[in-house]
Amino acid sequence: MDFQLSEDQEALVSALHSILQDHAELPQAERFGYSCFNAELQGILADSGFLSAAREIGPIEAALVTIETARLPVLVETAATGLVAPMVLGEAIEGPVALIDGKAMDKAHRNLPIARTALVDLGEDVAVLAIEPADVEPVESVLAFPYGRFRKAPDLAKARRLPGAGEALRQWWRVALAAEVAGAAQAAIAFTIDYVKQREVFGRPVGSFQSVQHRLVQCHAHAQSCYYLALRAAWSGDPVDADCAASFAQQGVQRLLFDLHQFHGGMGVTTEHLLHFWLYRIRALQAEAGGVHRIGLEIANRLWPDAPAAAQRMAQAG
Amino acid sequence: MLDELKALEPFRAEVRAWLAANLPADWQQKMLGAPEEEHVAFQKAWFRAMMAGGYGAPHWPKEWGGSGFSFAQQIVLYEEIARAGAPRLILYFIALHHVPGTLLEWGTQAQRERHLPAVLTGNEIWCQGFSEPNAGSDLASLRTRAERHGDVFVVNGQKTWSSNAHHADFCLLLARTDPAAAKTRGISYFIMDMKAPGVTLRPIKQMTGASHFNEIFLDDVEIPAENLIGPEHGGWAVAQSTLSSERGLSVLELTERMRVGFRMLLESAQAEGPAGGRLIDDDEIRRRLVDIYARMQALRLLVNELLTQAMRGTKQGTEPSIIKIYYSELLRDFTALGVTLGGVAGQYLQPVLMGGANETGYWMQDYLYSWAWTISGGSSEIQRNIVAERGLKLPREPQPAAAGQGG
Repeated sequence: MDFQLSEDQEALVSALHSILQDHAELPQAERFGYSCFNAELQGILADSGFLSAAREIGPIEAALVTIETARLPVLVETAATGLVAPMVLGEAIEGPVALIDGKAMDKAHRNLPIARTALVDLGEDVAVLAIEPADVEPVESVLAFPYGRFRKAPDLAKARRLPGAGEALRQWWRVALAAEVAGAAQAAIAFTIDYVKQREVFGRPVGSFQSVQHRLVQCHAHAQSCYYLALRAAWSGDPVDADCAASFAQQGVQRLLFDLHQFHGGMGVTTEHLLHFWLYRIRALQAEAGGVHRIGLEIANRLWPDAPAAAQRMAQAG
Repeated sequence: MLDELKALEPFRAEVRAWLAANLPADWQQKMLGAPEEEHVAFQKAWFRAMMAGGYGAPHWPKEWGGSGFSFAQQIVLYEEIARAGAPRLILYFIALHHVPGTLLEWGTQAQRERHLPAVLTGNEIWCQGFSEPNAGSDLASLRTRAERHGDVFVVNGQKTWSSNAHHADFCLLLARTDPAAAKTRGISYFIMDMKAPGVTLRPIKQMTGASHFNEIFLDDVEIPAENLIGPEHGGWAVAQSTLSSERGLSVLELTERMRVGFRMLLESAQAEGPAGGRLIDDDEIRRRLVDIYARMQALRLLVNELLTQAMRGTKQGTEPSIIKIYYSELLRDFTALGVTLGGVAGQYLQPVLMGGANETGYWMQDYLYSWAWTISGGSSEIQRNIVAERGLKLPREPQPAAAGQGG
């Protein structure tokens, strides 16, 4: 298989770009914040059908929408609304959607302050919760997503339940996560390349030094691989592909974070540039849906299931 | 690409059946630790068998005795060869890929008629005389000199890293014919007879113990002017044709062989671990296996993109460089995991599988040999320079002469 986009996919991406380009700039007032959710753009994408791509066309197209929107410094929630929810429920639900690990209900959850619906991973089953803004208390963080926790633990027993949907939720959560990392990483790398071409030291551009070039090439190759693995997982619908895409994406986050900030020099440890709007999204995704360690072991258990000791340890770890 | 390959399922079945019927089941047993002459004899026998089956020269045009397969057919063929664990035809690599890639584009009709049919008989082995002690990744700084005296060129200099030169009949040689011209402008490209007076070989012993490479010393070697390929002083452009003659199929074969070889890693992981139980039950080992597995998937997708570009005739960017880095570093980590799994016992000297893949299960030799892959064909550092400058459009590195001026 290959990922030369078809004509229809090219057309979809190009139509999406024509909307996104008007929102490519971060509003001046938001520059020093940690995250910037653009509700207006979220509405435009929903109204123009980009969040229905998974049901109307297919998961690859929904993944493409996730990847392309993840390139923006502003946040729109396309991954869970446009890809995960439709693949798990097969129907539209009100977005934005937050994805929640049911074992950590009392912790802060990504996107909860902007969410209208939450999908809760209960292991076997999935609970679908309608979210009232009043029920959520925002939590401050440096991560480039809004985080919030429930003021009062929601009554999961009363929530709508999708029996046996847990596995599908984790699978598509991982595909979406990989797609989001791929898009954000590619954007952060492009942003950094622009910077190192302009910024001069010792009378020449920072980007003319091999020590910078070689690490940027590694970042680029990693992001490109993430992109293909995410699209492959969306295409095949195979849980091992989804897990590979997510664990591969998460594995490279530390290096991306370190190198891309490093190449911005002193500016890299300030909020005077946009880098953190992508990289601190990636960082948040690094630990989600199991994280590198657990996803890695899950792949191993799927591929080499006859390892009783490991399987037992996994079960005990829950 | 998927659709093109799907349409070739009957062809795939044909190839698979042919390999099942013709590949000697015990070839690995026989080639394990085989002496050089037996290895060469088997390479020749297998190549001739492939030719008889119609698969020996899949990419050669029919008029020159090849199969004239479509690019998609070649993809299928190489996948099947790799999956069947057939021998790598390393003895014929230069003859089968570089020779036609060069002669069909730049050679004279006489040169083609003299050499192309001979290659396909299996009798004519070729080697490459590009690298020099002071011209490796920086090939254009080569110094071997060829001076024209009437209708011969007299060559003096030294070549190195020439694989299989000790078996070769002819050499694709680059030499400087105009020392006054700019680096790439004064180079010419020759066919050199390895039996010509003045050609001396010295094998280079590798740290694995084997000797695939040679130094070639050239002392007043006379090459007839009719053996010049392409224009005099125009050899650099000819060399580009040589080097671009593979179009991603070699790395496809290597990638598929690695996927097959992964089974051997899993087998090695069945061994008992130091703390009891099997190695594969250990979380750390499982994660390292998964890391390799996921990277192999990514590699295959990168290769597929390259093959699709080649198939559609789209202009290639820096993908070959990215893939070269990716493959060679993955191979290093793959074989390093093999060494870990093999423990100390895996580090005793063992017989080497001649003509085998880069993953033979003799992990210490595989690991040490993997180091050659991050260097040969343009080191990882050079590949990164290429991607940085041509792919990411980063500014060129300052020339060494100017490097001291900034500080």
